[in-house]
Amino acid sequence: MQEIKRKYVVPGDKIVDGNFRPLSNVTKSGNSIFATRIGIAEATRDGIKVIPLSGVYIPRVNDIVIGKIIDHSSLSWQVDIRSCFSAHLPAQDVFGRDFSPARDDMNKQLAIGDLVTARIMAFDRTRDPMLTIQDKDLGKIPRGEFLKISATRVPRLIGKRGSMIQTIEQATQTRILIGQNGIVVVAGRSAEGTQLAIGAIRMVEEEAHTSNLTQRIKTLLNVPEPESTETISELASPEGQKLEGSSSSIPEAEEQVQEEELEKGDKE
Amino acid sequence: MVQTRSLIDEHGRRTDGRTMDELRNVKIQVGILKNADGSAYIEFGKNRIIAAVYGPREVHPKHLAQPDRCVLRCRYHMSPFSTDTRKNPAPSRREVEISKVMREALEPALMLEDYPRAAIDVFVEVLQADGGSRCAGITAASVALADAGINMRDIVPACAAGKVDGKIVLDINDVEDKEGSADMPLAYMPHLERVTLLQLDGILNQEEFNECLDKALQGCKMIYEIQRRALIQKYFGDEQELKEES
Amino acid sequence: MREAISRSKRLDGRDLDEMRKLEIEVGIIGKADGSSRVRLGNSEVVAGVKVETGTPFEGLENKGALILSAEVLPTASPYVEPGPPDEETIELARVVDRGVRESEMVDLGKLALIPGKVVYTIFVDCSIINYDGNLFDASSYAVVSALMSSKLPVFEVQDGEAVVNTGKKMDPPLTTIPVSITAVKISDSVILDPTAEEEACMDARITITTNSEGKFAALQKGSTGSFTIDQIKKAAEIARIKGEEVRTKIKELTSNGH
Repeated sequence: MQEIKRKYVVPGDKIVDGNFRPLSNVTKSGNSIFATRIGIAEATRDGIKVIPLSGVYIPRVNDIVIGKIIDHSSLSWQVDIRSCFSAHLPAQDVFGRDFSPARDDMNKQLAIGDLVTARIMAFDRTRDPMLTIQDKDLGKIPRGEFLKISATRVPRLIGKRGSMIQTIEQATQTRILIGQNGIVVVAGRSAEGTQLAIGAIRMVEEEAHTSNLTQRIKTLLNVPEPESTETISELASPEGQKLEGSSSSIPEAEEQVQEEELEKGDKE
Repeated sequence: MVQTRSLIDEHGRRTDGRTMDELRNVKIQVGILKNADGSAYIEFGKNRIIAAVYGPREVHPKHLAQPDRCVLRCRYHMSPFSTDTRKNPAPSRREVEISKVMREALEPALMLEDYPRAAIDVFVEVLQADGGSRCAGITAASVALADAGINMRDIVPACAAGKVDGKIVLDINDVEDKEGSADMPLAYMPHLERVTLLQLDGILNQEEFNECLDKALQGCKMIYEIQRRALIQKYFGDEQELKEES
Repeated sequence: MREAISRSKRLDGRDLDEMRKLEIEVGIIGKADGSSRVRLGNSEVVAGVKVETGTPFEGLENKGALILSAEVLPTASPYVEPGPPDEETIELARVVDRGVRESEMVDLGKLALIPGKVVYTIFVDCSIINYDGNLFDASSYAVVSALMSSKLPVFEVQDGEAVVNTGKKMDPPLTTIPVSITAVKISDSVILDPTAEEEACMDARITITTNSEGKFAALQKGSTGSFTIDQIKKAAEIARIKGEEVRTKIKELTSNGH
């Protein structure tokens, strides 16, 4: 496939001419692909997309999100996932098929105000997102400091193969849970560690697009300098083209998503 | 409107020193409000205008939600201290009309079908007005919408042209608006090449009409470049082009 | 409908640039100084003119005042509810007002009594009785024909102070006849004088007012679609040409109604 340079785009910018497949945050008009959001346009083997740098979280099936229980009906909990769509977690997901509102007390499992890590099971144009907590590492979050960051910064916070978040966790002795929706929960052994981790997370959020961010985070966290060979191998990528310092891991994080039921990008 | 004094001098300079094809000074700052999902502040000549975007977000009241698309709501409002004589803060009929044409100017550019059952609210507040505030408001609102990460087909610049002292000029200021003979605000989608707002007050013959239209169009293209630069500056800093690591 | 229009056929059989039948009856409301009832197809509007004296507008001390309003009555359609005007009605009133004001149809300079203090104040109020599309043009024709056929009470200044109604009547000082022409875009076709059904399908709308000399006095693009520059230039030309045809008709119908 022809090599197309990655580039910065704003809505309406033409990315490329040609019969390419439009993926997310782009639209096809005539024989060209145009960006529909501010971000970085790139070509993958599947087509053309724009990695957005701003915007509220729009749910996608299979995303892991962190939400807060805000209410419940007799059959499900209503969960705030910080999106324009309110999510719900069916009681059956937690209690099993033979859930009965008369017998089983929903509040015993999840009360209003609780935070949960959940996966989006279903979401399309006609109904609100449905969640599940029946997987490994999902469920109620017992403790931790809660922060909100822009959903578009999540890939940068995770880092290439988790490198950024692991760097922060190790340096601050914390465990950090990240939802694709931009909610982060930090649980640490010490208050200082937790605060330092939060500071690092905020720095990533503000400076995600700049170069040498990894270095500056390490400086902030007093992480000792690794061997120079290690640094180079960390930066090298089998994919070839790379951005200086920022967003190199975004394609990977995005590859988590299989089918997008809400097709943002496929437009004629 | 019958002109009572000369608005263009013998050297072709207007009341504020500009030539006939010159745009006023335009400065745009992006993302200046912490709480809004997207925002922009514009200085357009002496106009000072803030645009804020909240959305996509849940619709309140719920019955206004549309099943297959997002609802777009726009409010254009002038602060009481924004004009020479104090303006009553209650929305005037003029503000209601401008809110409507502003919404109709922005809607064609937004991909509202991407956010069913949600709402996008656009608030444009005029802190100081000096002719062409609706164009400046639309210009700022477009940038704020892009800042909010809403899917858009195009960014919408807006600019007015008009007739002053018998000549067609670009970007009318307040004096020229009040004392000139025609005012034509226009909003345009540059890539799709479509007009989304067009109004006219004042008298133009067919030739002047076409000239005014073309001139306002040129103004829009200039303003588009300013909008684009402001967004790139905010998001990508001084790195205009992506740097590749060798 | 879109399919039919793309084949240049409208549901009521009209050509793309054909206007519906225009009927005008003037002088129907005796108590008003001028009045008119317009039927454009099935859209029906009544306009009434009332003349009083009052203070001039700020900045326009030597001119009479002209105040226009429009109201869509609940009788007009099952979807209209009584209440304060919504944004559509406000836009309608302001666009019709601009067409009349910017064209300087009424020579307001001749209507000052005591400059800066007392001037003629002309109220023109439009009531939309039945809605079947194109209220912009129907209302505009109603306002224009009501003004054309009105008889203003003659006021006189006595002793430099008091303003008195002499009981005599005069024709209004008119300089031009503004005519508005509204077109809407459906898919890529531009059609004139839309019915309610056509308006329900439209992408965008444009209303253009020309004066008796064929010059443009006011313009408003409406609704959430867009036009190309060429479509606008073309619409402007059609508005000028059709405007002249409609002007002739208005003059004919208004003088007959006297």
